[in-house]
Amino acid sequence: MEKVEFVVVGAGLSGLATALVLAEAGAEVLVVERGDYPGSKNVTGGRLYLGPVRSYLPDLWEEAPLERRVVKERLTMMAPGSSITAELSSERFRNPPFPSYTLLHATFDRWFADQASARGAMVISGYKVDDVLQKDGKVIGIVSSGDEIHADAVVAADGALSFMAEKTGLLKPRAAKNYAVAAKEIIELPPHVIEDRFGVENDEGTAQLFFGSLTAGIHGGGFLYTNQASLSLGLVLAIQDLMDKSGPNLSNEESAFSPHNLLEAFKDRSEIRPLIADGHSVEYSAHIIPEGGFRALPRLFTDGMLIVGDAAGFTLNLGVTVRGMDLALVSGVLAARALLRARERADFSSASLSYYETLIKESFIWEDLKTFQHMPDFLSNPRIYERYPSMACDLLEQILWVGEGTKEKLSTTILRTVRQNLFRISVLRDLFTMRKI
Amino acid sequence: MNGIVVYSELEETALGLLTKGRELASELNKPLSVALLGEQAGDRAENTFGYGATQAFIADSPALTPFQASTYAAALKQIMTHAEADIILIGSTRRGRELAPRLAQKLSAGCVTDAISLSVEDNRLIVERRALGGNTVSAKVITSQQQVVAVMPKLYDAEPMTGGAGEVIPVSLELQGPTTKVLERRPKEVGIGNLEEADVLVCIGRGLNDKGDLSLIQPLVDSVGGMLGCTRPISHEYHWLTEDQMVGLSGKESSPNLYLAIGISGQIQHTVGVMNAKVIVAINNDKNAPIFKIADYGIVGDLYQVVPKLTEKLQSEFGQ
Amino acid sequence: MNIIVCMKQVIDLEQIRIKPNTREPVTKGLPLLFGDFEKCALEEAVRIQEKHGGKVTALAVGSPKLKDTIKEALAIGADEAIILTDPMFNDSDAMGSARVIAKAIHKIGEYDLILLGDSSADEYSGEIPPRIAELLDLPQVGFARELEILEGNDQGTNTKTIRAVRDLEDALEVVELDLPAVVGVTSELNTPRLAPLSAILKAGRKPLNEWGPEDIGITADEVGANASVVEVLSNLAPVQDRKEIIYEDVEEGVAEVVKALLQEGVLTQ
Ligand SMILES: Cc1cc2nc3c(=O)[nH]c(=O)nc-3n(C[C@H](O)[C@H](O)[C@H](O)COP(=O)(O)OP(=O)(O)OC[C@H]3O[C@@H](n4cnc5c(N)ncnc54)[C@H](O)[C@@H]3O)c2cc1C
Ligand SMILES: Cc1cc2nc3c(=O)[nH]c(=O)nc-3n(C[C@H](O)[C@H](O)[C@H](O)COP(=O)(O)OP(=O)(O)OC[C@H]3O[C@@H](n4cnc5c(N)ncnc54)[C@H](O)[C@@H]3O)c2cc1C
Ligand SMILES: Nc1ncnc2c1ncn2[C@@H]1O[C@H](COP(=O)(O)O)[C@@H](O)[C@H]1O
Repeated sequence: MEKVEFVVVGAGLSGLATALVLAEAGAEVLVVERGDYPGSKNVTGGRLYLGPVRSYLPDLWEEAPLERRVVKERLTMMAPGSSITAELSSERFRNPPFPSYTLLHATFDRWFADQASARGAMVISGYKVDDVLQKDGKVIGIVSSGDEIHADAVVAADGALSFMAEKTGLLKPRAAKNYAVAAKEIIELPPHVIEDRFGVENDEGTAQLFFGSLTAGIHGGGFLYTNQASLSLGLVLAIQDLMDKSGPNLSNEESAFSPHNLLEAFKDRSEIRPLIADGHSVEYSAHIIPEGGFRALPRLFTDGMLIVGDAAGFTLNLGVTVRGMDLALVSGVLAARALLRARERADFSSASLSYYETLIKESFIWEDLKTFQHMPDFLSNPRIYERYPSMACDLLEQILWVGEGTKEKLSTTILRTVRQNLFRISVLRDLFTMRKI
Repeated sequence: MNGIVVYSELEETALGLLTKGRELASELNKPLSVALLGEQAGDRAENTFGYGATQAFIADSPALTPFQASTYAAALKQIMTHAEADIILIGSTRRGRELAPRLAQKLSAGCVTDAISLSVEDNRLIVERRALGGNTVSAKVITSQQQVVAVMPKLYDAEPMTGGAGEVIPVSLELQGPTTKVLERRPKEVGIGNLEEADVLVCIGRGLNDKGDLSLIQPLVDSVGGMLGCTRPISHEYHWLTEDQMVGLSGKESSPNLYLAIGISGQIQHTVGVMNAKVIVAINNDKNAPIFKIADYGIVGDLYQVVPKLTEKLQSEFGQ
Repeated sequence: MNIIVCMKQVIDLEQIRIKPNTREPVTKGLPLLFGDFEKCALEEAVRIQEKHGGKVTALAVGSPKLKDTIKEALAIGADEAIILTDPMFNDSDAMGSARVIAKAIHKIGEYDLILLGDSSADEYSGEIPPRIAELLDLPQVGFARELEILEGNDQGTNTKTIRAVRDLEDALEVVELDLPAVVGVTSELNTPRLAPLSAILKAGRKPLNEWGPEDIGITADEVGANASVVEVLSNLAPVQDRKEIIYEDVEEGVAEVVKALLQEGVLTQ
């Protein structure tokens, strides 16, 4: 039997941030990752908001293999045959400190793991943790292929559907309504083609978010991010809605509502086709995202164990975009701080580790999750994916369309649309919910 | 020093290298000779003149049996001195691969093994070989005074020339006897023959569950008049097919009109062997399998479903 | 039996991307690991040691990342590792690398057997084993797919020989040579064990020696870019222009593929 001070399960951003901070303080830490490499099994859309992270992890970003800094934001509302895109291009986004960057897990996580290793952490890939060792209700280590490793404390950084959190009873098997599934493709294009198509300069990039008919009434949205030499294109779909539409087997390829088929249909939209034309699809992946928000948060600690990142459900779903990486990084840092304090006191009991919860509560993670706690309710309303986008697109289309014959007065067009679509109880209810978000 | 020497323990390969050597010798303005080692060296000399050698250095010694890389390297070094040669072309057979680098080290020379192309540019010999496991081809120039190049054994066909003539030069070698004993030689089982020349090549990989399932594949192979090859695990680990049916970096290379990959992931060490196929078709149940990235056509599906359907369709097209 | 196993750290070849416009390989930042052949060499060394006793030393020349990579060798069972990562060794050709390895082996001094991969996974050149055999004036055998150590006694002195099955194109040859010797192995030799997680932790406590040029007595005119006698003019992926038409529906796929093959004229009726 071997023993180390700390074992971190999972080498995603949350686990690696925990390990990096622990190792930097001289603690002995082992990170165990089941994928062949850090970044080989986990999936992200790929846009990291650095703003909230910088003060927690300073001095790290100069050399980081970030793809492009986002200087242009686009929001597209889609109806079945039309769409409206708003574009924000702001000088503020073009000057440091840059608020957000695109990244690829494959390169970024590997680099991040190297940073943790360079500070003394042992990051070991290709080993799956099969069990949590517990004694008298206290977590004392992990088991991998029958091999026991003991530790003063264990960190569950094993992502959405954390088996560690479930095994220790911190997490009840969560309801489908608290999860989304995402399908994503990476499409290679030469850098100059990307810069031409998206109208950006060297190292600059865009983030485009989509909502409306592309998700076929399912709560969710689409994203398109520019990397150095590729695009990340994907869809996020609420699992409950998907199951309501196409049955419990989500990977049923036959269903028009399978994430894969919806993604294919999305790629075939005239808004997307020219952007990805001649691109090489080099990777397709699907992954689960916790979306329960504030109200679905589990208890964050137990005797000898903490949970961080997606495992703890730290994601902020603001409709079309998901924020999880910044929360993963910061929760990892805070977990490490709590563990270092526990190490000083040689006390890894629940009481001692509850300091982690205190730190989380003092941070933006808690505040933001709380602020947006009603978001899931608002977003589960199908009208924002079907009726409203269609209405807006139709209206604009009628205003801008000049055909044969006479054109009616604009005010008439507008009034008719408003009367047909907005004078309804449901709309008033929707407006009422919106006040909360 | 100025001259090219050719050596291979395989006569066909030596003659092929002489054929290419003629062209290089004339471009580099160097004499071309051949080294022949062992018992029948003298008998083989005359024939080489018809392929371009102008001198045949022949040598025999008890020390040359059995083959030992160090002894053969010592022998060739001495012959290169006699021939005043600065370039030696060796057949990159398994023995050639053991021999060439050892000779190079004796000469403190640069070496390239498994060359896939030789050419002359600016009076320099440019040698191409595969690199990065087969992902790339690198062009190299050896800058040491002497150059050792081991060339893929079947790269150049032997083509006789008219009016070749040359001189047989016996060389007496100073060699130390071999210390390696050969206790036994077990000939390998041979499979279906020359995959290199297949028009249609069907290869199977680890997607196949069982040796018995070959009976599913054979009708497909027959329906298109193809030859059956495989990936390394199939021949070398499971022994379901013979080792000469293995395609790839360490196996056969082939340029068929059609290459059909069944249950093969498409790792570079395998696919490098079929990169020159005219059309590549892949069947794999993992849509992210790298084989689809190099395929013209692909079917994502379980081979146990796809293969019978494909066979049936092909049989109906070809009326078999 | 003291065995030295030479291990080369190579980039994961499956992760290499080719830039579509220039055909250049993108290798920066890719993970490094040991090739399959080397892992088999190490596994064999450990098995021989388990049977005959002695010590297994893993020896590797490469980038500073070896400090991490080499842990796998120690976890699988090497007793000790020696890594040589000095920048002076960068961009060596095979002769330069062989000189470093041979000098390091010379410094280790006591050995009965040197095991290597017959060829490395990336270069697949097979130059190193014959070159170090020449530099150390030892017999060599390549393409070994079975090994057996025979310990005997010849008039009071212990003798050690190795019996190897050498894999030739058309035959398997059983050869016997006196130790010490240099043996290059292929992946048929064995199936390397997967080290348990705890072994990797233990590996961190095994001796890991870093040797520089002074330790082995080598200078910049024998190794590195300046000493290289093989110049690389270019290194590009061959042009591949495949259609990549992929069918996810089996029925449709079968019909369309057969149609396409007939159109392409690669099958004749
Ligand atoms: C499609 C998609 C788009 C997204 N877009 C964005 C975005 O644009 N911006 C943003 O900020 N966030 C985004 N998110 C969310 C964000 O990616 C995650 O919140 C974040 O990456 C979580 O990091 P983590 O370290 O907690 O988990 P992960 O990155 O999932 O890491 C968990 C790791 O644990 C390993 N593991 C699991 N079980 C075991 C085991 N038993 N043994 C060993 N190892 C194990 C896994 O292999 C994995 O590597 C997106 C998510 C998805 C899926
Ligand atoms: C130095 C060196 C040299 C090598 N030389 C060669 C060489 O010359 N030739 C060679 O072949 N290899 C060579 N290899 C080995 C090579 O790296 C790969 O390991 C090998 O090619 C993989 O074989 P595979 O595709 O059959 O197996 P795998 O990689 O295991 O792939 C099996 C595939 O079958 C698919 N599959 C599984 N079940 C089904 C099903 N029911 N229906 C459809 N698809 C299914 C899977 O999705 C998978 O993609 C060499 C390796 C090294 C290190
Ligand atoms: N840099 C290196 N360090 C240690 N061993 C090496 C190195 N390069 C090659 N080898 C060994 O030599 C074998 C053959 O490599 P190569 O000659 O490059 O094909 C490899 O399988 C290794 O065992």
